[in-house]
Amino acid sequence: MERSFKQEVESLRLAEGETFHGEGILAVTKALLQSGVSYVGGYQGSPISHLIDVLVDAKPLLDELGIHLETPTSEAAAAAILGASINYPIRGAVAWKSTVGTNVASDALANLASAGVIGGAMMVVGEDYGEGASIIQERTHAFAMKSQMWLLDPRPNLTSIVDLVEKGFELSEASNTPVMLQLRIRTCHVYGRFAAKNNRQGAISRNNRLQKPDFDIIRLCQPPYTIAQERIKIEKRMPAALKFIAERKLNEQFPGDIGDIGVILQGGLYNTLMRVLHRVGLADTFGKSRIPLYVMNVTYPLVPEEINSFCAGKKAVLVCEEGQPEFIEQAIAAALRRADINTKLHGKDVFPMAGEYTSEVMLKGLAAFFDKVSLPAIDAARGSAASQAQAVTDHKAQAAESLGGQVPPRTPTFCTGCPERPVFSALTLVERELGKHHIAADIGCHSFSAYKPFNLGNTCLGYGMGLSSSTGIAPQFEKRVISIMGDGGFWHNGLTNGVASATFNNADGVLIVMKNGYTSATGWQFLPSSMQQRDGVKAQDQNIESAIRGVGVKWIKKVQNYKVANVARVLKEALTTAEKGLKVIIAEGECMLAKQRRVRAEDAKDIAAGKRVAKPKFGVDEQTCTGDHSCIRLSGCPSLTVKDNPDKLRQDPVATVVETCVGCGLCGEVSHAAILCPSFYKTEVVHNPGAIERVVNRLRQRIIAWMATPEAMPAAPLPSAATLAAAAE
Amino acid sequence: MSELRPVTILISALGGEGGGVMTDWILAACRAEGLTVQATSVPGVAQRTGATTYYIEILREKLAKGAPEPVMALYPQVGDIDLMVATELVEAGRACQSGFVSPDRTTLIASMHRFYLIDEKIGMGDTRLETARVEATVRQLSKRAILGDFAQAARDSGTVINAVLVGAIAGTGILPLRVEAFERAIREEGKSVEANLRGFHYGLKVARGEIVELRPAPRTAAPRPAATPAAALDALRDHVVRDFPAVAREIVNEGAARCFDYQDNAYATLYLDRLDKVWQAERAAGGDGSGTAETGRHLALWMTYEDVIRVAQIKTRPIRLQKVQRGSGAKGEQPVIVTEFLKPGIDEFASILPPPLGRRLVGWAERTGRLNSFNLGLHIRTSTVLGFALLRLMAALKPWRRHGYRFGVEQQGMERWLEAIRTAMGKDRLVAREIAECARLIKGYSDTHRRGTGNFRRIMETLVQPTLAASNVRPDYYANAAAAIATARKAALADPEGETLNRTLAQFASARA
Repeated sequence: MERSFKQEVESLRLAEGETFHGEGILAVTKALLQSGVSYVGGYQGSPISHLIDVLVDAKPLLDELGIHLETPTSEAAAAAILGASINYPIRGAVAWKSTVGTNVASDALANLASAGVIGGAMMVVGEDYGEGASIIQERTHAFAMKSQMWLLDPRPNLTSIVDLVEKGFELSEASNTPVMLQLRIRTCHVYGRFAAKNNRQGAISRNNRLQKPDFDIIRLCQPPYTIAQERIKIEKRMPAALKFIAERKLNEQFPGDIGDIGVILQGGLYNTLMRVLHRVGLADTFGKSRIPLYVMNVTYPLVPEEINSFCAGKKAVLVCEEGQPEFIEQAIAAALRRADINTKLHGKDVFPMAGEYTSEVMLKGLAAFFDKVSLPAIDAARGSAASQAQAVTDHKAQAAESLGGQVPPRTPTFCTGCPERPVFSALTLVERELGKHHIAADIGCHSFSAYKPFNLGNTCLGYGMGLSSSTGIAPQFEKRVISIMGDGGFWHNGLTNGVASATFNNADGVLIVMKNGYTSATGWQFLPSSMQQRDGVKAQDQNIESAIRGVGVKWIKKVQNYKVANVARVLKEALTTAEKGLKVIIAEGECMLAKQRRVRAEDAKDIAAGKRVAKPKFGVDEQTCTGDHSCIRLSGCPSLTVKDNPDKLRQDPVATVVETCVGCGLCGEVSHAAILCPSFYKTEVVHNPGAIERVVNRLRQRIIAWMATPEAMPAAPLPSAATLAAAAE
Repeated sequence: MSELRPVTILISALGGEGGGVMTDWILAACRAEGLTVQATSVPGVAQRTGATTYYIEILREKLAKGAPEPVMALYPQVGDIDLMVATELVEAGRACQSGFVSPDRTTLIASMHRFYLIDEKIGMGDTRLETARVEATVRQLSKRAILGDFAQAARDSGTVINAVLVGAIAGTGILPLRVEAFERAIREEGKSVEANLRGFHYGLKVARGEIVELRPAPRTAAPRPAATPAAALDALRDHVVRDFPAVAREIVNEGAARCFDYQDNAYATLYLDRLDKVWQAERAAGGDGSGTAETGRHLALWMTYEDVIRVAQIKTRPIRLQKVQRGSGAKGEQPVIVTEFLKPGIDEFASILPPPLGRRLVGWAERTGRLNSFNLGLHIRTSTVLGFALLRLMAALKPWRRHGYRFGVEQQGMERWLEAIRTAMGKDRLVAREIAECARLIKGYSDTHRRGTGNFRRIMETLVQPTLAASNVRPDYYANAAAAIATARKAALADPEGETLNRTLAQFASARA
């Protein structure tokens, strides 16, 4: 794992009366323990990777509490874990990144929601939406609505979040329905505090096991019971949920003296709204607002009675609802219409339909709302909002003008020494020879090939879907189509939906499986073909090659990624061989970040122990570099960059290798494979050389110094202007 | 209602710069001081190497026990940032562009070093952003700008940039934290404490104005060995001073010395003679010598083309050996193993063959498409005596160069180019200047060199020669021609596939037709 949480795990043991300090996602983990879960699991992905990581590091604590941890290979499998709560009064929680994870999970979720649960079942979904998002922009809300699962969106402070986790389990049990806890990126990473409670052990757990299974056919999604289940959802579970939400006051109302208007908002937006209200003089730092607020910590289902009583008597309300379609606003409109309440409804008419509600969006939206309602009580605030919004617009314009246009983006790229980069260097070289090919890309670090300098990849249809997404287009192409998959995607569903399915359909393409040993993009979690399992040992032999062979692939080649010329040769062979059938290239190279962390520690230990260690790094001869940057166009490594040309006569910047270089060898391999230039060299500094090596080295240095080419003689200095003037006289 | 508002800090960092640790130090310092604090971050899609932002709010006043909890924002508010920290100059510019830096409010701490964007690195020439413009912007838009090359300061202190920046943060006095609170946080974190504190104190002094801003090292000439008394070079210099105008002397003097080093005194004299003819033409046309200077720059680079002999010469010099040693980070007597990656092929071999043989070999290889078929991938260990001797032997072939095939080819090319420049001087100095600049396209090795030479030739044939052959032209003819040559040259550097150049030349052709 990328980050160790050994320290943070200690805070999961905090008891009643102590204060927890830490990150949002850790607070959620602690809340799960306080709620008495008996099983936890999930599939990693920003922004909830840390939840899974911390659980892995918390194994001793989980063992004490009898909690089972499952880290499956996909969100579909993770969602299915919740099946434990269908028949038995067992609480459990799973986590993933949404909406992509929810997409994968939705088959199991639909069944789970239809069957209903006895034990509290919770999904913690990390909402990867807006700035910094790495996925398609959609709403989890739709999943909650279509399957009737309750959606929690707490105010983003740790106390509220933890409280809602605990109440969420009760809600789940009171209404026999799984619940989703939605956390935005910034909320997952927010550092704050809350008053801890004792951890609870579930009544049934690994420490107190079940004796006999429960059978009740109404809990199976089989006809004709599925029809009954739908009715139960509407007739029993939904009313029970609404009652619980209202009685336990899961949604919050904050009064304000300007009662003619009000704001209805998703809990997660509360802090942003409050700060903007503060800026325009309508609120203070301690949560006092002059405008009444209705904060929906449960965003689905809507409690119509609460909405109606909040809106009744108001001239206008503003709905702060991030994302689209505006499900909440529509539901509020329906509720008001049905109750014949004529409060004017604003929302997406003043806020943008698409995109995150950043501070700027909130400020401008509020300014537009104030304009529409024109109420004397908010005249000052209206002026303030308008002038602040204008100032922001002006500053940005001023910056753009001064900078001479927008600064280009800093696009994602492979890390220094990444083992996937050489494969794309090789692919680029092969395409120079054979022409462009259609490339079905996949989810994972390797998808960074789409950006400069490679610009490789034509489609990307989901995790592990690289090969599947090539099957329609491949037969339409003259040349073979290339698909790409990471080992994460391979085990996620690429083996079945990709390799098995394509082979079953007589595919004739080329598949590159990037085997770097981890689900690296999410923070190097282990997967079935990793060198070890999450607890450090390797108990099972699960390898990609035998899996592929097992589903019928005959043409399988393994390549070592850094040998660029060889990778290119094998690629070319795969693309041009007369042999029919799927050609699979397993591209091997351990994730460099993970490897460096391991190797650096080992090297440090060996150096301290007096063992001989040679540390590699690359360099560029700036005098032979002509500043064409072909090498960078075939690499894009962050450690290979440019600098001012030190030569007086040359103008273009020269390539240079900065100190972050890990000596992966790509620079040398690429300049060989592409016949680039003689400027690259590799140095290996030898730590703890032996006595003989030291003597030989000294001798060599002396001979080399004696042999060396004489230094260039500098140009004779030019006389100064004064000297010249004097000479002229 | 309470008027309290938190202090707001936005940090924009790149992967691996320790933005998270910097935030942790501030959090730890606040906790130790009993201040209410909240922090959050957005990793950015490139969690590895992309930009990451951290946002912190601190309540200046200590809260009484049992007081209501403040509501802290998770989003930085445009126009409402007290302290903006950027670990790199363009990221500071980006912060301005996003509205997080306001002239009435924001103190900006930014490192002035550059971590180039991919677009700035992959250009075939110089495609870097104008740093001066970014610097002017961040200065103009902030209330106070604390700028310096903090990356260099970190290297000097043996630490990471975050320590220096947190020192600068402490030095602004904007956060309600005493300097000791930061120091304690760094100590308690317990990693590289001494180096971090050194960096911290450096940053502290910069923010307090006790150290003048450290700017990124200006473009410096390569370190030179002690001047060797060389009568030949003195003579060349005297020649330059006598025959060339002041504006061209520096470049011409440097060029002559370069040719002397590359081959011999006769070659340097040939350089000056060639250039002298250009200067005569320019002077006759009323020029000040700047055209001669630019021609001199490119002529020197062309005359010292990088063949195997030159590469070996450069790679076997003491100054280069020292650089490699220094760059490797080796300390004291640590042995450094050096491996060179050379891949000579037919081009390199033919270049030192006698002209008739070389011509035949290259002709055959071109006809059969085998120019790249016989390249020999060599990993030469130049830290060994044998490996070094091999290169040194190649460097010793210098006198033979004149008798090799490539020498003649290059000289012919140069002569044609020089003649075009001289002819153009008589017609329009701007056109001459643009022709001179075209030599910039010829660079690199192997395919890169062939591509550049090919582009150069195409521009010479399709644009330059028709221009020089034209007579009885309209008054704006030459200005247009000069602009066309410049456009084509830029197009040749736009993409390695040559698509932009094809398009551009096709447009000119259809415009003429």
